[in-house]
Amino acid sequence: MKVLLVGDGSREQAIAEAFSRSVKQPRVYSIMKLINPGVARICKSTAGGFKRGEPTDPVQVADYAESLNVDFVFVGPEEPLFHGVADEVERRGICCIGAKRALAEIEMSKAFMRRLMWKYEVPGRLRFKAFRNIEDAIAYINEYAESLAIKPARQAGGKGVKVIADLQAYLSKEKRDVKTKHAVAVFEKYMSEYSDIEDRILLEEKVEGPEYTLHCFCDGRTVLPMPLVQDNKHAFNEDIGPETGGMGSIKGRGSTLPFITMEEYNSSVEIVRKLVEAVQKESNEEYKGVVAGQMMLTDKWGPTIIEMYSRFGQPEGENILPLLETDIVEICEAIASQSLAKVKLKFREEATVIKCLAPRGYPDHRELAKGHPIWVDEKAIEKIGGKVFWSSVDTVDGSYVTGGSRACEIYAESETIEEASEIVEKCIPYVKLLDGWELFYRSDIGSLSLLEKRRRLAEIVREIYQYREKKNILGRTIDWIPGRGRIEV
Amino acid sequence: MSGLIGIFAFDENWTVSRFLYYGLMGLQHRGQESAGIATFQENKFYRKACKGLAEEAFKEEDLQELKGNIGCGSVSTNPDLLQPLLVKNNDRSMVLVFSGALVDGNPEDFGSALIRESLRSDLDQAALTVMEKFKGGYSFIALTDGGCMVSGRDPMGIRPLCVGGLGFDLAVFASESSALDVIGSDLSREVEPGEVITTELFSVKRTLLHSRSKTAYCSFEYVYYARPDSVVNGIPVYDVRRRIGLFLAKENPVEADVVIGVPETAVPFAMAYSQATGISVEMGFVRTGRSVRTAIKPTQFERLVGVQLKLNPIQTSVKGKRVILIDDSVVRGTTLRNTVYILRKKGAKEVHVKIGSPAIVARCPYGATVPPEDELIGRALTSDEIAQVVGADSFSYLSMSGLLEAIGLSRNRLCLGCFTGEYPV
Repeated sequence: MKVLLVGDGSREQAIAEAFSRSVKQPRVYSIMKLINPGVARICKSTAGGFKRGEPTDPVQVADYAESLNVDFVFVGPEEPLFHGVADEVERRGICCIGAKRALAEIEMSKAFMRRLMWKYEVPGRLRFKAFRNIEDAIAYINEYAESLAIKPARQAGGKGVKVIADLQAYLSKEKRDVKTKHAVAVFEKYMSEYSDIEDRILLEEKVEGPEYTLHCFCDGRTVLPMPLVQDNKHAFNEDIGPETGGMGSIKGRGSTLPFITMEEYNSSVEIVRKLVEAVQKESNEEYKGVVAGQMMLTDKWGPTIIEMYSRFGQPEGENILPLLETDIVEICEAIASQSLAKVKLKFREEATVIKCLAPRGYPDHRELAKGHPIWVDEKAIEKIGGKVFWSSVDTVDGSYVTGGSRACEIYAESETIEEASEIVEKCIPYVKLLDGWELFYRSDIGSLSLLEKRRRLAEIVREIYQYREKKNILGRTIDWIPGRGRIEV
Repeated sequence: MSGLIGIFAFDENWTVSRFLYYGLMGLQHRGQESAGIATFQENKFYRKACKGLAEEAFKEEDLQELKGNIGCGSVSTNPDLLQPLLVKNNDRSMVLVFSGALVDGNPEDFGSALIRESLRSDLDQAALTVMEKFKGGYSFIALTDGGCMVSGRDPMGIRPLCVGGLGFDLAVFASESSALDVIGSDLSREVEPGEVITTELFSVKRTLLHSRSKTAYCSFEYVYYARPDSVVNGIPVYDVRRRIGLFLAKENPVEADVVIGVPETAVPFAMAYSQATGISVEMGFVRTGRSVRTAIKPTQFERLVGVQLKLNPIQTSVKGKRVILIDDSVVRGTTLRNTVYILRKKGAKEVHVKIGSPAIVARCPYGATVPPEDELIGRALTSDEIAQVVGADSFSYLSMSGLLEAIGLSRNRLCLGCFTGEYPV
């Protein structure tokens, strides 16, 4: 059996490792832009292979898959999906695990996703406005001084999102200035390279609460949920600093997180299921692949959709894939034959922690973070009980060089999140940049104090949304305007 | 004593001057004699400081001239301490805000040493070196001409400092969490004793002093300095003030008809006292003008003006009644004497004074504004003698054990120097 894995990140390493554990012993092939040492190693050890190429180019991927005569293709990252890799692979008669272009729209266009939620009345939807030109967006920002999340309308590698609470009238002017400047940056910087959707910017009501990610496998008929994971987006300790693609993530023992109840987990699954049904109906396609809800427990709704992923999150995927006990080949085959309903999805119970190490300069000055030789003592790390996932690293003449994003991740599993976190901490000294450039990471991820903070926030939010539920105002926004009366927006 | 704030926006689109200004208003209770802000943009400092309250010190034009996405500010009890200080060494410069006091030296010395060391080593190491050298009780925030912010707290944690964030954009440092609340920032945690945090575009780094002694948190923060909505050393100030009221009720019970707290610090004492005893609490005074903190006004004349202007008794609350009057502390006894007198004039039948802290008998080497020791009434006179001087029917302090229990920390983790004359260093 042969599998072609598309993508070159830590997520793909975790997927490749899941394949390497399969009793079917598939040969793993990979197409990568940067040669990820972790993925490359598994390709070799499974007697597969890899090549440097453009994972977002449907023709290149499909040609490679055809030339290898693979049994199926597994697409790791979102961009290949947005570029129609799944469509092209399937057109050639090869089975693809990964959403087709029209389905991946659920992640690619945040405006499309929100419209879908409103059209199909999926719970956990937020008020939003999408704009195609900057003047309209700025006019809106100036007219409504309110707490906003400002986002590029398209998924832009997690970049360009700004969330501004505007509750103090005396600071409103400064905040409006920042909102306006950021809106301009969304048009001129973050969205400049994308012409594949018409909407440019999304202004969304700001909500607050603990975030979590719910991954599911889909086969077009069945949605199978996985355990919850929580990512940490702030660059620095104690939730301070700019937004990143994620500096590390935690998974609790069992399927939920310490601050999310089983009931909330179940309603989250229901929301993702409804969204998958909606996007299938809208596109007339069947969703075969991985979908994830990036969610937040909010006072407005309880479980609420912030964004959707059409793939495993990175680093969140690496928290659960190592625990996957069900054979991934069996899952892929079930997706292909639409018999996922018969699969018993099993994960080991362990709590897991991932911490990402990023070169100084990440996230906003990646040119500085790029090109540094990196050294990792994987043996020492394994001895301690940790594990390395290679991330934004390239292999140049046999040595490893940073690619500008988070360079690698340390993973550990244990009975509790805190214990796993302690193991990761012990591994950190075994990763270094050889030119002396600084690597940074968040020591607080997985700590008791941060968990406690999330739990406190969840409790407050839970009190409020349960009150709203009782009052029958869950998810509703009711206002009173002099002269117009009571309105619901 | 000063109240400090520092704000670092990771995105250059932000202008922080107004955030600093409102943050200072949230710290105004820590010093009302001078206010100042410095910001940094494109290798240039912008600075404005003058006497008076923050609200009076800055006009709209000032806030607009204070350009930049990084800045710090201070309010101070010292009218002549125009912070942020600008310190220079060769062609390098730095601004500094400092709260508290050093045993040997002043904030200027601290700033000069900090810039000198920062030319030799990394900023965090420089700060640690300077902290090793200068003993005292303090917190500080400095801003380099390279756009780095360094904040720190003395090894004993005498003066408070906390850190928080606002969204993905700001890191905020402040003497008290009240300043964070005012600008809508979340409290992340309090800076640890002997901890230095350096903040720059690419990192927020914490470093701890190796030779950390045991903590000696200032007990007077809980009694008087901090705002009741702040959390200091993990302990909500309001909770301490309520417990003080409960212990006052337990320790020296008197029969009375009404309990009144001297605004604003002693109001929570009075409310808890009332709940413990069943004696009703009433609003005793109405304030004219802004909240003026008389204990930290520099001259006696100003203090008297302050108390007369600020406190006008409500006659109905006291007329014909036996009044328990609760205040936070007694320094010279002048304002207390005045307060008792105006209650009597409005018809109070008896006035029993209760003080929410033990007698202040010694100076504070760590920056609290306490008058010279020979001016401290608690050092010179017994409680009965003080009752006579201030014209009260009775006078009693909170016991030391009551204070310790109210704060909830053991004696060896606190600085009680102003009550005992024994200091942690």
